[in-house]
Amino acid sequence: MRTRLIPAVIVSLALGSSNALAHAYLEQANPRVGSTVRSAPSQLTLTFSQNIEPSFSSADVRNSAGGRVDQGTSASGNIMFVNVGSLPPGTYKVHWHILSVDTHKTEGGFSFTIAK
Amino acid sequence: MSSSIFRGVALATLAVSLPLTQVSAHCLVGGRFLPATLAVDDPCVADELSLPTASWFKTGDTPPANETDISVEFSKRITETFGVSVNETWTHLRPPGGPNVTGFRNLESTFKTQFYTNPAHELVMSAGLSVEWGGTGSEALGSDKFSTLKPTYYIGKGFGDLPDQFGWVRAFAVTGQVSYSIPANSATIVVDPDTGNTSSSPNPQFINWGGTLQYSMPFLKSSVADLGLPDFLNHLMPIVEVNLQTPVANYAGTGLGTTGTVNPGVIWIGSYFQVGAEAILPINRASGTGTGGVVQLHVFLDDIFPASIGKPLLQP
Repeated sequence: MRTRLIPAVIVSLALGSSNALAHAYLEQANPRVGSTVRSAPSQLTLTFSQNIEPSFSSADVRNSAGGRVDQGTSASGNIMFVNVGSLPPGTYKVHWHILSVDTHKTEGGFSFTIAK
Repeated sequence: MSSSIFRGVALATLAVSLPLTQVSAHCLVGGRFLPATLAVDDPCVADELSLPTASWFKTGDTPPANETDISVEFSKRITETFGVSVNETWTHLRPPGGPNVTGFRNLESTFKTQFYTNPAHELVMSAGLSVEWGGTGSEALGSDKFSTLKPTYYIGKGFGDLPDQFGWVRAFAVTGQVSYSIPANSATIVVDPDTGNTSSSPNPQFINWGGTLQYSMPFLKSSVADLGLPDFLNHLMPIVEVNLQTPVANYAGTGLGTTGTVNPGVIWIGSYFQVGAEAILPINRASGTGTGGVVQLHVFLDDIFPASIGKPLLQP
């Protein structure tokens, strides 16, 4: 029994890397997490480790006073786009929550700063 | 131990098993992932498989014996917040000068409910009841013939909710675990095979307590500062685990004291599995001799089989 179980798990892991889907985590952001940028971006790009469901995934961006500055989100594959218009210098907090295509929910947040 | 105490503990476990908050599969609390840890249990319920956990160390006996353990643990969610796990350990014991002893330890099962989850503060708490089933393990290894109950409280807390000014400190997290070990029999009767005389030795009650201090490089990258480090480093969680046992009742004359280990190590987190490796450092002579080690492969069944064995048996 045990001798059959171990190979089965190994095969499952191998298959899992190509066929299964996992929780989606933030792999990369532009502007970069925790960074200070000199020019204000008009759009944030969040790249996740798995494809996400656009209808159930969103993000909000808030300035240091807590006011929302995001102007809508869209997603394609594993990338979410957050429109923010023209942002003045300051520190901004991004909070995202997503549903990966296998229905796992994840969320997170980070800050970035636009230099004066 | 009286059956009324058993019934009381069982009822208490059932009472706290009612789902109060919604949680995610494996230990995700807000933006924080708390990994399965090697020496103490993580504070969540999940669909996971540890196969195997292998450890080797020298026991606290005089003279010490070399012990190798290989264990398997399967955890299954019954509901989103209530799960069951089963653990079996195979042991190979090599006493100096003596015959080697090999066999299985007593089977253990844990019933656990995640009764509080606060994503904003990365705080999670669970309560559980572990049962070591007496008489299911090898007599040659000294496995108890009586069962032992362990009501257990678990907590986990990430520090990502600290203000941004705390910077890299926000990637720290801690977990803790406290349990009370209650043997079903208060004493073991030993019969001398030569004389037929009987003697009694007490079965002590213990508090088992421990915790982890962990640093999440994945959290650092995704929530604090993306330093552009190599991908391998961004999947690491350096960790220190502490696992201690203190006799608190029915141990008079046994000479027992607090024993345990401190385990520094690291866990690599992947999408479908994690791999952990830790040193085992006994806190005193009674806890062991020299440095041991433990390694573990831990599989996230909810990610590999999200539509079958990776989801709760009962879903609303």
